[in-house]
Amino acid sequence: MKRLLVSGFLSLSLLPLAACSNNSSPNSSANSAAQTKTFVTGAIPDQDAEKLQRLYGKLSQYLEAELKIPVSYKPVTDYTAAVTAFKVGDLDMVWFGGLTGVQARLQVPGAEALAQRDIDAKFHSVFIANKNSGIGPINDVKELTALKGHSFTFGSESSTSGRLMPQYFLQQAGVKLEDFKGQSGFSQNHDATIALVTAGTYDAGVLNEQVWQKRLQEGKIDRSKIDVIWRSPEYYDYHWVINPSVKQRFGDDFPQKVQAALMKLDPNVPEQKEILELFGATKFVPTKNENYARIEQVGREIGKIK
Amino acid sequence: MSRPAFRFISPSLQWGMIGLVAIALSLWQAGLFQQTVVNLNGFPLLWRFVAASVHPDLSYDLLATTLQASLVTLAYAVCGTFLSVTIGAIAGVFCSEVWWLEVLRAKRLRYFGFHSVRAILAFPRAIHELIWGLFFLNIWGLDPLVAVAAIAIPFGAITAKVFSEILDETPRQPLLTLINSGVAPITAFFYTLLPQAFLNLLSYSFYRFECSIRSAAVLGIIGAGGLGYEILLSLQSLRYEQLWTFFYALLILNGGVDIASATLRHQLGCASRIDLNSHRPTKRNIPNRRIFSLFPIAIAGVALSFWYIQPDLSKIGSPRSQQLLNQIVQTSLPPNFTGMAELIPLSVETVAMSVLAIAIAASGGLLLAFPAAQIFLPGGLLNRRGKANLFPPVLLAVARIMLLLCRAIPAPIWSLVVLYILFPGILPGAIGLGLHNLGILGRLFAEVTENLEQPPLKALSAGGTPDSLVFLYGVLPATMPRFLAYTLYRWEVCMRETVIVGLVGAGGLGRLLTEQLSSFDYQSLIVTLGAFLALTFLVDWISGRVRRSLRSS
Repeated sequence: MKRLLVSGFLSLSLLPLAACSNNSSPNSSANSAAQTKTFVTGAIPDQDAEKLQRLYGKLSQYLEAELKIPVSYKPVTDYTAAVTAFKVGDLDMVWFGGLTGVQARLQVPGAEALAQRDIDAKFHSVFIANKNSGIGPINDVKELTALKGHSFTFGSESSTSGRLMPQYFLQQAGVKLEDFKGQSGFSQNHDATIALVTAGTYDAGVLNEQVWQKRLQEGKIDRSKIDVIWRSPEYYDYHWVINPSVKQRFGDDFPQKVQAALMKLDPNVPEQKEILELFGATKFVPTKNENYARIEQVGREIGKIK
Repeated sequence: MSRPAFRFISPSLQWGMIGLVAIALSLWQAGLFQQTVVNLNGFPLLWRFVAASVHPDLSYDLLATTLQASLVTLAYAVCGTFLSVTIGAIAGVFCSEVWWLEVLRAKRLRYFGFHSVRAILAFPRAIHELIWGLFFLNIWGLDPLVAVAAIAIPFGAITAKVFSEILDETPRQPLLTLINSGVAPITAFFYTLLPQAFLNLLSYSFYRFECSIRSAAVLGIIGAGGLGYEILLSLQSLRYEQLWTFFYALLILNGGVDIASATLRHQLGCASRIDLNSHRPTKRNIPNRRIFSLFPIAIAGVALSFWYIQPDLSKIGSPRSQQLLNQIVQTSLPPNFTGMAELIPLSVETVAMSVLAIAIAASGGLLLAFPAAQIFLPGGLLNRRGKANLFPPVLLAVARIMLLLCRAIPAPIWSLVVLYILFPGILPGAIGLGLHNLGILGRLFAEVTENLEQPPLKALSAGGTPDSLVFLYGVLPATMPRFLAYTLYRWEVCMRETVIVGLVGAGGLGRLLTEQLSSFDYQSLIVTLGAFLALTFLVDWISGRVRRSLRSS
């Protein structure tokens, strides 16, 4: 009997719990961007989250002041999740890479590429190699065949500079993924690629040139162990993509307003300079969907876009 | 069981030989005899990682982050456990034989009802939490609900299976007596079978909580936040001092939950965790009544956890979720079978990885289990003469901490560390999985050893048999069959977990799944998932068959 009482008590006490969670739901769904007046931004996690958090905190403040609406930042932990969150409408505007931006636009009809950094129209990847591997400098794309028979790592599967374009250049040289020793790796981010090639886990690897330059300046690279063997030709990379749903919520001209606010970031104003520095840019410039036609074409060739 | 040609070999010897051949083939598949596997250049990096363990980052900011991340992981585990036990309790009744046969008296329906519920539950169980998480992300978006459901659904199905087995193995005489004397079958069920099985059900629920903590850490890696996420971030940015702070937090969290769970189970008088192949009825002590005072605390804990992580339950049936679900179904159909040829070598790799992982886990677990059990302590089973010296307790502590470290750290993190000194391939994945499961198996082995039937061993000892011979002829033969059963069961888990090490590039089907996920190629993804399900069922079937044949021998 006592046990029955206990189980009765148990089920009774669970009822209000269920009720609580239902009551609290209007509050928590306030987080969901689609229904409210908050403009939610996000970014692919290509660098460490602590820095992203600081960067986007500042950017949100700036945009809030410029656009006169609440702006928030939602951290996302992987590239695919960022695209998915944009697709379902949890993120209104995302800082995507070249490939992820195209993937996102293809899944959200009406989404627009809005702005990018000055460096993004002429972006490069660098191929690096461990000195012990015996891979020498490469002068032409055709010479990438030197990598055959060596172990090799990319960055994230969906990275434009750490995977898509490098694989495309390798393909042009006639190097297939099966030509590498063992399986080609996916280190997941640019810093991890540097570490794994330094350690010799992989003979060679490829990453975003901007990250490489920055780590060089910071003195974090042991050049007695690794060095650049080839710098790729240029291509379009990172950019802001905005969801068309913002037009219903904030007005038809809202994407233009956001674009103008991003353009207005001025390196002469100390606070804005900090934002630009965290982005690694001197200024933002407008961009458009058509700029990424080549990325889309390469994406289809490599099989990252179906 | 054994075929006529093998009549002179016992089934266990036969399976043992098959097992050894499988391990050798898997090693060959991993490339062990064909190429260099160890990368000597990586040792400085490994050393930096190990050296950081003695000076973790203890700055105020980081400790605050650690505390918050630990609370998040704990809260996810509590919510996940609560929901999976709820699902398991309901579904478990409906897929128990006793419910269909005795309570519903549906003898004809039995085959249909009982087998169909079991078959349906096999699917959510075979899919790893991580895949569930990625699926829910597509229909619910960025919400804590995703991680909670990702734990609750597969764990609910596993719990249902175990609960139904517990119910079926509980003696039925009291139930039948009540039913035959005219009590309504459902009332009889609630008054006899349920209270009888209650302790075992509760004991298993505690074990599920330990599993949920580990799972919450893994889900952190794909974005649920908490300790798993922080660990992955600091590992990728090579901040080893911070990494170790998070490791220690995970260690304390896992250790704390394990100790609390063990204490509670001991108080309840049900020391054994999951009675996998013992068909003797468990000792049924009258539970300490004080235990019921824990229920309000548990309820408060669950409520607090839900409040802390704030899952948006309204999303479950919302129009947006419906629409997104339709969308994902549409984009996944029709399945694309063009990549089928690729699946075969990858499936072989996946199975090889799981075999190597379980071989590592079982042999490592075996080495650490006996030192980690209390049998060598003064007054313990193998130290009856009470030689009190410092060695056994220190050995016990070291072995237990090593086991805890192994199981607390998620398998993909182990794999990433192993990648420093091994060349990429399935071996780093297998070692990562092996180390993590070693911690779990070793703990289970140690518990089996501590719960051995005492009288025969005491008799041996009292007859003047030296401790070493008691160990060899008393302890080992008594523990081995149960060790094997646990190992086979864990092999099934390893198979499912190959998905998560595939995520860090360890190869096999998990690798392909990651690639297809990041290409949003759901039509091919669904075929790969199908292959994975088939492999999981195959491994479950082999493992079940071996267990049955070993039990009958």
